[in-house]
Amino acid sequence: MFPKINAAFVEKILVGFIRDELGRCGCKQGLLGLSGGLDSAVCAALAARALGPKNVLGLIMPYGKAFPKDVRDAVSLARRLGIRHETIDIAPQIDAYFAAYPTEDRVRRGNKMARERMSILYDRSAAEGAFVLGTSNKTELLIGYGTIYGDMACAVNPMGDLYKTQVRALAAHLHVPPAILKKAPTAGLWPGQTDEGEIGLSYEEIDAILYARIEGRRTRKEIVAAGHRPAAVDLVLRKIKSSEFKRHLPPIAKLSPRSVGHDFLYPYDWGR
Amino acid sequence: MNIALAQIAPKLGDVEANVALHLEVLEKARKKRAGLVVFPELGLTGYTLKDLTEEVALDPARDPNFQRIVAATKGLSAVVGFVEESPADRGLFFNAAAFIADGRLAHVHRKVYLPTNGLFEEAKFFAPGRELRAFEAPFGRAGLLICRDFLHYGASYVHYASGADMIVCISAAPGRGVEGGEAFATSRMWELMGEAMSLFSTAFVVYVNRVGSEDGVTFAGGSFVYAPGGRLVAKAAYVDPDLLFCPVDIAAVREARRTWLFKRDEKPEAIWRSLERIVRVPED
Repeated sequence: MFPKINAAFVEKILVGFIRDELGRCGCKQGLLGLSGGLDSAVCAALAARALGPKNVLGLIMPYGKAFPKDVRDAVSLARRLGIRHETIDIAPQIDAYFAAYPTEDRVRRGNKMARERMSILYDRSAAEGAFVLGTSNKTELLIGYGTIYGDMACAVNPMGDLYKTQVRALAAHLHVPPAILKKAPTAGLWPGQTDEGEIGLSYEEIDAILYARIEGRRTRKEIVAAGHRPAAVDLVLRKIKSSEFKRHLPPIAKLSPRSVGHDFLYPYDWGR
Repeated sequence: MNIALAQIAPKLGDVEANVALHLEVLEKARKKRAGLVVFPELGLTGYTLKDLTEEVALDPARDPNFQRIVAATKGLSAVVGFVEESPADRGLFFNAAAFIADGRLAHVHRKVYLPTNGLFEEAKFFAPGRELRAFEAPFGRAGLLICRDFLHYGASYVHYASGADMIVCISAAPGRGVEGGEAFATSRMWELMGEAMSLFSTAFVVYVNRVGSEDGVTFAGGSFVYAPGGRLVAKAAYVDPDLLFCPVDIAAVREARRTWLFKRDEKPEAIWRSLERIVRVPED
């Protein structure tokens, strides 16, 4: 069902993309959040190849001591790649906020942490003159499994057109350590949380349905007829639809004959 | 005859909801004894469809939803905008207008001129229509146009030359320009075109634009009817939904053509010969 990617070729394209996008702005440095998970490991490996390891900064931003193994994996990955890394505990600012506005809502807490990490990345981006590299993959973008203005925020996203299962294939090619490769994917919103547990479907199943819908342009009926569980198909299709807003800049109310976001149309790379 | 200008705000991508809205308006119009109800461009689907285009496309001869609208036109006529995919052109999607009369699909016009510039992306998603053809409506001869078609004056000319008493243009025109007055600046352009065309053609010009907003774009409304000779006989609200009823007397076409003799003196064969030369030898 899922055509295999040529990982070496994809690596070449993505390394070139990072180099071109940053180079256009005269920027040699990249930075990203390192979670100890698969996506940020792949992004760091690509960035190290594109920019040289010393030009990549990995920020490890745990909430207190909540995820010790992930922090260890992130540090060991950074050492292995030879990139610069730093650990910043976000607990003081998160705790300060929720002390004033308490909530038990794990999603709210998780989103707040994701946005805190974004805020640190952008501050360090200015301090270091480095571009924030995004780590959202195609699966997350399509089902909206990401925090808007949190982990979805970045200057460039090299991985946004790779399904999660394709990221795994690329990770193996890039020699990402088995500890990270074999780990259950998690957004790290709370201890014990896994993506697949929260969504209720395996990434293999999500990706197969997404592939049929997006690449294959199959209808719901055709996807179900191909052997997918109707409930799973409905869940994925519903998630695609309800998360469309996360894949756009906010709409601008059009008034004039030529409006930003409507008909003032220049390429992203214009003037860079 | 009473014309109803159905200046609605369709729900983007939701054919079921829009069919219900059309049926509701048709019922109101019937109660007011309307002879013709005109809905806006892509009224059954919404405008900013992008990749939704193929998902909302339908075959007007067979689609059960569309047939509900056809059945609801017993005793009156309606112009309905939709996305057409017909069995003869599988995989091609047309921005279409149907003329339905007394429970029968009488005519389908496929938008010929698809704006693809600035905020418009129609040719990315639609196939262009390739024909303009007037037809016999219960009240006289009529020609359909869709939005941008109307801004290419050859399109109206073809309907005029084939004897149309009424040119009906359905539209999903976004408003642009807020420097003066209580309407978008672009509304004035449509009115000017409508006025001029009713003079040139000594026919009725019925223009129905939608309202509501999609992805930040506000549709301007301002539907209107010009009687032959540039006489404004109805004008709907700008920007807000409206259902405006306008009595028209088709005999005004005869009056206008006796007064201004453009139609009598028209020479389509001279135009045709000249056009043929221009098309065959563009560098003449």
